[in-house]
Amino acid sequence: MASIRTYKWGVLLGLAALPGLALANQEVIKLTQDSKNWAMQAGNMQNQRYSALKQINKENVKNLRVAWTFSTGVLRGHEGGPLVIGDMLYVHSPFPNKVFAISLADQQIKWKYEPRQDPTVIPVMCCDTVNRGLAYADGKIFLQQADTNLVALDAKTGKELWKVKNGDPKAGGTNTNAPHVFKDKVITGISGGEFGVRGFVAAYDIKTGKQVWKAFSTGPDAEMLMDPDKTMTWTDGKMAPVGRDSSLKTWQGDQWKIGGGTTWGWYSYDPKLNLMYYGSGNPSTWNPVQRPGDNKWSMTIWARDVDTGQAKWVYQMTPHDEWDFDGVNEMILADGVNVKGKPRNVLVHFDRNGFGYTLDRATGQLLVAEKYDPKVNWATHVDMKTGRPQVVAKYSTQAQGADVNTKQICPAALGTKDQQPAAYNPANKMFYVPTNHVCMDYEPFKVEYTAGQPYVGATLSMFPAPGSHGGMGNFIMWDAGTGKIVKSKAEKFSVWSGALVTAGGIACYGTLEGYVKCVDANNISKELYKFKTPSGIIGNLNTWQYKGKQYIGVLSGIGGWAGIGLAAGLEKDTDGLGAVGGYKELKNYTELGGVLTVFALP
Amino acid sequence: MSSSHRIALGAALAMALTGIALAQGGGTKAYPTVDRVEFVLECMQKNGGKQEFLYKCACLIDEIAQTYTYDDFVEASTAARYQSLAGERGGVFRDPPQVRETAKRYLQIQGEAMKHCGVPR
Repeated sequence: MASIRTYKWGVLLGLAALPGLALANQEVIKLTQDSKNWAMQAGNMQNQRYSALKQINKENVKNLRVAWTFSTGVLRGHEGGPLVIGDMLYVHSPFPNKVFAISLADQQIKWKYEPRQDPTVIPVMCCDTVNRGLAYADGKIFLQQADTNLVALDAKTGKELWKVKNGDPKAGGTNTNAPHVFKDKVITGISGGEFGVRGFVAAYDIKTGKQVWKAFSTGPDAEMLMDPDKTMTWTDGKMAPVGRDSSLKTWQGDQWKIGGGTTWGWYSYDPKLNLMYYGSGNPSTWNPVQRPGDNKWSMTIWARDVDTGQAKWVYQMTPHDEWDFDGVNEMILADGVNVKGKPRNVLVHFDRNGFGYTLDRATGQLLVAEKYDPKVNWATHVDMKTGRPQVVAKYSTQAQGADVNTKQICPAALGTKDQQPAAYNPANKMFYVPTNHVCMDYEPFKVEYTAGQPYVGATLSMFPAPGSHGGMGNFIMWDAGTGKIVKSKAEKFSVWSGALVTAGGIACYGTLEGYVKCVDANNISKELYKFKTPSGIIGNLNTWQYKGKQYIGVLSGIGGWAGIGLAAGLEKDTDGLGAVGGYKELKNYTELGGVLTVFALP
Repeated sequence: MSSSHRIALGAALAMALTGIALAQGGGTKAYPTVDRVEFVLECMQKNGGKQEFLYKCACLIDEIAQTYTYDDFVEASTAARYQSLAGERGGVFRDPPQVRETAKRYLQIQGEAMKHCGVPR
């Protein structure tokens, strides 16, 4: 723990001359600037997943070896990744959300935290009991549990310092997202769009856990912390105030109360603008016929003042969603990206709907909106004046109506990309994006809302994008200034792992077969390294340095059970949504849990 | 199983399997040792870790290696493994007919090999 203390003292001394600045934020920014650490889930506040380390580079990456491994002992999907601060590594598990603090010196567990959570929360989680990882600030580790409890632990001892309830699992609210620390607040959201939860983000004081502000995605202006005159949005080719009741006007009756717009993605923060950015998810239900209107502000990119929560600007990507194109994916901040000959400080977002968006992050102005998979067909393009996607009637599940199976929609509901975060390389200003190359047939049906019960209202069937390479994934290199795919590398299965790019000129990602792959960051078709971990990868790769040596780490383990001895399992038909409980049989089988695999050069 | 036991067993297995690989020569279609060891360890664990399953599980992976090239084995076993993945994302493995077919074929071949090698289903 010595080095943590040293870091903190260094920061405190450095800040003595700057009264009034939020200490925690400066500490975390400082930690992220030292590339020996990996102090936030995305490496930095800008969500870039970039490291300046270059000991492992494109010449020697082929020599990577496994340095050590750590099993969490928990089955099911392992998303997110470890944090590394000084000589400690902190890693989490899916439900029951264990936390391990591991000393890098000898890989011994320094402390372990295992919350007691009511297992009845499990069936309320739509999409496996994942957890996307921890946050660090002010000598504390923050854990956002599945049952919505947000917990602060002493980073040295694992002792619980405070705990606060962020939502209500009985009404379908759960958490899978990582908490994010910006300034002196820890900010979190909510999952449960499939259960008719009303989405929000909330900020808690890192010292006490006291709620500082809470802002809903839908409803009255005051509850959204939206100012009708000052909150801006893209309107007829320019930014204009949203006006009064901008959300209420776009819902029928009280539907906004169970309207979704959940917030389980990756948030980012611009310290200069003091704005945080995140996306809100799909409106509930999935049956669009049942909820007329634009359903604002679901499917929206939000910019909020971190201190007050006030919305500075909003941009709705998919008004009146008809496909479950959840808008929660990560917001990446990049400086000096060349847009039409001008360097701009932008926000880049790869939405589930298949469009890659580039916005001016100070004003919210829409700059670029282009398809990042050429097979995307539900809309021809985004009209740059209105900012609205031009929906193709043939693929509109609204136009086709309830109980009609709308066929061959691209992408599928999982999106051209789900939460798995992309990486940004400041050296060549390119984005590295793990994608799905999957289309679907979609049939909405009528559902009644019951608190705590699934509120889905659609059945769907997925398949690889027709007329392509036959695989279900691509790893792409994207130019956010022009909105063009620079290069695309085909994968057999969807790529559900977060990417990493480094100053060593390599970009790395994981596959569902369990491979860790590193490619040349300037030519992603060139595979430089491949290693098979014990299970499929849906975690995010990261890197750190300890005692002069660079390491690359990744969590593997996606849930599902091994084929061995389970021929019967195949005959059982789709478990469907809200059916994580289908895992019950799993306890009859022993299997290694999720594994953190750590690589280094020999 | 304590970690030291596991390492010892892993080492023993690695040696045993290298022997098998050598004995079989070109018929093994270039499966990395680590994949065979991993497969056998997992298979043994599913069968209570009994020593007899070292032989039975090694037999199983060798039979599979007679049918599939390594790359095809990785693809087919991945397809089979995640048929049971819950929720929406499992649909990516369950829905597409070709993935389902790949998984089905793999489980058939594995099932026959299990019978032959004495590994219970």
